[in-house]
Amino acid sequence: MNRGRLAAATARLFLFQGSMNHERLQGLGMAVAIEPLLRDLEGGPAGKAYHEAIGRAAGFFNTHPYMAGLAVGAVAKAEHVGVPSQQVDRLRMALKGPLGSLGDRMIWEGVLPAAAAIGLSLATMTNPFIAVGAFLLLFNAPHVLLRWWGLRAGWRLGTDVAEALSHPVLQAGLKISGPMAALAIGFAIPVVAEWLTTGLDPTARWGTAAVGLSTAIATRWLVPTLGAARLGILVLAATLALGWLL
Amino acid sequence: MEFTTVGGLLLWGAVVGLDLATIAQVMIARPLVAGVVAGWIIGDVQAGLIVGAILELFALEVLPFGAARYPDYGLGAVAAAATAGGAPGVFGIGIGVAVGLLIAYLGEVAIQLVRQRTAADVVSCRKVIDSGDFRVIYRLHLRGILRDAARAIALTGLGLLLAAAVRIAMPVSVRGAVLLGAVAMGVGLGTTLVSGTMIARDARGGLVWLAAGLLAGVAWVVVR
Repeated sequence: MNRGRLAAATARLFLFQGSMNHERLQGLGMAVAIEPLLRDLEGGPAGKAYHEAIGRAAGFFNTHPYMAGLAVGAVAKAEHVGVPSQQVDRLRMALKGPLGSLGDRMIWEGVLPAAAAIGLSLATMTNPFIAVGAFLLLFNAPHVLLRWWGLRAGWRLGTDVAEALSHPVLQAGLKISGPMAALAIGFAIPVVAEWLTTGLDPTARWGTAAVGLSTAIATRWLVPTLGAARLGILVLAATLALGWLL
Repeated sequence: MEFTTVGGLLLWGAVVGLDLATIAQVMIARPLVAGVVAGWIIGDVQAGLIVGAILELFALEVLPFGAARYPDYGLGAVAAAATAGGAPGVFGIGIGVAVGLLIAYLGEVAIQLVRQRTAADVVSCRKVIDSGDFRVIYRLHLRGILRDAARAIALTGLGLLLAAAVRIAMPVSVRGAVLLGAVAMGVGLGTTLVSGTMIARDARGGLVWLAAGLLAGVAWVVVR
């Protein structure tokens, strides 16, 4: 495959969720990302094969956005080697779940909370811009690498793309990212708590701790579906009313 | 607030809002990042850092699986920094976080509206999309991005209006503001404790790692 087209498809992966919607979820994003890789199909962009492949790519699709490159590359390769259309559809559908599950566990439950907690801890110790820079670097090094590698691995393996999921680096990332996140969050809680409450008098500090424990009990057992933002709005509205009275 | 500051915040809000899911997702939409940069734009990095850090504690709860809906804490952090910026001590922190949470929640609602509208576009062009007309697909995709940018700018604007209203008529006394700040910090920390436990529970040996982290954190606080 032409390097320029792979680069164009890689760049478009960063827009994968641009038209996220309740009808086809990431379907249009898939079509936009895969399009540069389909221009070489028989007849070119004006040909029947190109239009049929684009139409198929724009169907319902949903997976982890960072892992989508594997699906884009594999589906594009399948279209190029003349895999029957029903099999291409099955490949696309079969990839959604495993790629989504892998990305969710490794990125959303691992790399992201780990990097965010490290960023928070650093914010208490150093210049805020260094903390922010470290967070962005820690998170985006694996993120960008995953998008770049995923597309190329998908293109190389085609319908055998499942092999890529057993790549040792991916498996190692899956194993260590969760424990790393737990460790980093654990470290951040007391460090950030101490940093935030430094200017408060002892009564306010104990009050903060009591609110923290009450919130933990509420969000874990009493109103787990409410969500932190809604709970925060309710509690702060009530406090605002109390503060106004004070 | 000067015109250039307002313009800078609106532009930053657009970038932050788009980064949440639509473009790149390089996590400049995280409240820590959004808050610090918003604080820098208004000339009070410290205020942006503190409200950003508190909202980051809330945001650790978010696991954006599939097409899940979740608050837009990045836009919330921009509004929170604009509210808290320039206020002495902890005076603006609690009210800033309150404004930030409100904008974050409205951001969540607005994302659903944007996605519904894009879905309606897709339904109306279903046959053309299925025929593989890439120009139409590309146009719909671009429209989705522009719609989300409009959402982000509108919510940032609303956040700035709320910030201005709070600055003009601060609705609490000094004691009330301190109380509000302490409560905001407490809710954020409590949320993080639960989020950390949930994440740790799903990881192999995660609860042990969480406990080890807590001990190391406490040791760090004591030693420092």
